[in-house]
Amino acid sequence: MRGGSSRPAFVWLQRPCAQPGRKAHSDKEMAVAEATHGLGGLKYDPSKRTRAPEWNVFGALVLIVVVFEVLNRLQGGSFLFNMRDNLDTIFNQQRLDIMILQVAIIGIIALGVTQVIIIGGIDLSSGSVVGVTAMVVMSFAQTAMVNGNPNPKAIFGDWAMDLPVFIPIVVGLACGLLAGLINGLLIAYTKIPPFIATLGMMVSARGAARWWSNGQPVSFPTETYGTLANGDILGGMTFGLLSWPGQNPAVVFVGLAVLFHVIMTYTLYGKRSYAIGSNEAAARMSGIDVDRHKVLVYSIAGLMAAVAAILLTSKNLTAQSGMGVMYELDAIAMAVIGGVSLAGGRGSIIGTVLGAAIFSVIISGFTSVKLDAYYQEMVKGAIIVGAVVLDQWRQRQRVRG
Amino acid sequence: MKKTLFTAGLVSLMSTAAMAEGIGVSMAKFDDNFLTVLRNGIQAQADAAGLSVQIEDAQDDVAKQLDQINNFIASGVDAIIVNPVDTSATQAMTDAAAAAGVPLVYVNRQPINVDTLPDNQAFVASNESESSTQGVIEQCTQWAAAGKTEVSVYVLQGQLSNQAAVQRTQNIYDVIDAGKCAVKINVIDQQTANWSRDEAQNLMTNWLSTGAALDGVIANNDEMALGALQALKAAGIDMGSVIVSGVDATQDALASMQAGELDITVFQNAAAQGGGALDAAVKLAAGEAVEQKVYVPFELVTPANIADYLAKN
Repeated sequence: MRGGSSRPAFVWLQRPCAQPGRKAHSDKEMAVAEATHGLGGLKYDPSKRTRAPEWNVFGALVLIVVVFEVLNRLQGGSFLFNMRDNLDTIFNQQRLDIMILQVAIIGIIALGVTQVIIIGGIDLSSGSVVGVTAMVVMSFAQTAMVNGNPNPKAIFGDWAMDLPVFIPIVVGLACGLLAGLINGLLIAYTKIPPFIATLGMMVSARGAARWWSNGQPVSFPTETYGTLANGDILGGMTFGLLSWPGQNPAVVFVGLAVLFHVIMTYTLYGKRSYAIGSNEAAARMSGIDVDRHKVLVYSIAGLMAAVAAILLTSKNLTAQSGMGVMYELDAIAMAVIGGVSLAGGRGSIIGTVLGAAIFSVIISGFTSVKLDAYYQEMVKGAIIVGAVVLDQWRQRQRVRG
Repeated sequence: MKKTLFTAGLVSLMSTAAMAEGIGVSMAKFDDNFLTVLRNGIQAQADAAGLSVQIEDAQDDVAKQLDQINNFIASGVDAIIVNPVDTSATQAMTDAAAAAGVPLVYVNRQPINVDTLPDNQAFVASNESESSTQGVIEQCTQWAAAGKTEVSVYVLQGQLSNQAAVQRTQNIYDVIDAGKCAVKINVIDQQTANWSRDEAQNLMTNWLSTGAALDGVIANNDEMALGALQALKAAGIDMGSVIVSGVDATQDALASMQAGELDITVFQNAAAQGGGALDAAVKLAAGEAVEQKVYVPFELVTPANIADYLAKN
């Protein structure tokens, strides 16, 4: 999305205007309209075109990487480059891998949350939905025998042991979808604020996660289930041409990011999302079924939380009722750093991916220079606020200029 | 049943509340695995004795916990068991219970005022200063047996605001300083992974990306040890060349030990702590004297004696 994402909304607003009735205006009026800017003259002017906000985020990302590279060099190491003699690579592949992997799962949630924020909503429930989905999924993914003993954490009886892997996947996705659907229906049809509806879901879903097994962890999945996150899906899909073992969450994250980028940029779904976020009343007037669209967007967000939960449990080979705590806020923060406006109608999937990258660089960067986690959080907070302040300032500049 | 009636009668004499409500329990957090075992220990002991317990979740919130205690007092419980959220915020709880004359038992986490508790209050736990000590000494012995004289290790810390995390890390240095370690330990780096397997896995992979050679990992709990092991396995490091230790002896940790991955853990008897706390509470409610500090010992678990622990947690 370039030059502010209000453009698709503008397209939608214009459509009814392009009806024959509009022709009643005189040619003179039209000419005036085309010559002026502002109200009634939303004309495209190349000289007014501004750099996409994503470039600013990208610039910040590069800057932070450079800072960590310098800090590492001062200690005789390197942030991105390989300094080991026994390895024959230019970059430190291991670090690049973990940098994508460690934000992939929250990143997947952020993809759904980004769409919710773009339509002017908010989703506080994703972390808790991850928690409850994790517990449910794992209960259907357990294996009967652990090191020759019966599974000490078995939730159901023998019938639920060693099920084919598609069953936990389907159950998990259904669980997330249901949570998202409830969020969407509440928001669309009872008209309560999204903050309240998803806050309710956040509390209830966390309660359900604890209730599921009285707070006990659910562990010991089948081997196949473990390969969902720890296997090599890229190798499988490309018949061994490419290979990226143990990085499935990263592969899924990148794949979903590309998919949703295309959807948000080129499809009716995306244009409707931006239209609703920019001006809900106008979107309704122009014939968009706003309520149905909201249900759809929140359902997708729930589905993304479920995908995250499946990958998280598979990666860790366990499900715990405390899983996903604070994930919703990290996901929102990623979107916000990436330039997604909480007021709705503005932002992009690319921005969110860059936001996730900034998060990741901070985590790995601080670890690489052996600084404590305290500092990570302080800096993370400062960057979240700083990103929005800069964005606001930039928007004011644009209005003025 | 007789005991219930007795305590109920006793309390109705002592307090103005009309009815006895059994025993109130305020746990720091419901979704902590260890505390869940402890909570179930309290419940099991209560069921066995035919007592009713009401267990509440303070959700790691000091203020919420104090409110819960005051609510218990207001509803006229016979005794209160508290698993403190913050061990330095217990004075207010002690005062509230003492003012109302309700017996109070702290469980698992040592309150700051443990030495000045009133007569009808007690503390049941394992002595944290013993926790990782046994594990670290055993780890040193195993390194020495492998022919090493100097080792490089990473230390995974629990939540930094938590007393156990601080103490378990301190124990490592105490063992080194006291000369109880058979080899020289160099700590490459120590950081928190907030007791979490996922965070530990990510942190360990980040550490591995620096390329520094390591001989082992010392984790403040089993979950983090398992996360580190998963990262080590993913990086293709031979499980025989590193020694990894945790604390808690959870089922997941024991399974990992059986698979030849985790080398050492320490068993903290959560169920015994929960049961012990309930016993103390019942005795205090009946007006009997109890030991004010009850310590349930830690037990070292290695592949040699793992069979004794498989059914315990």
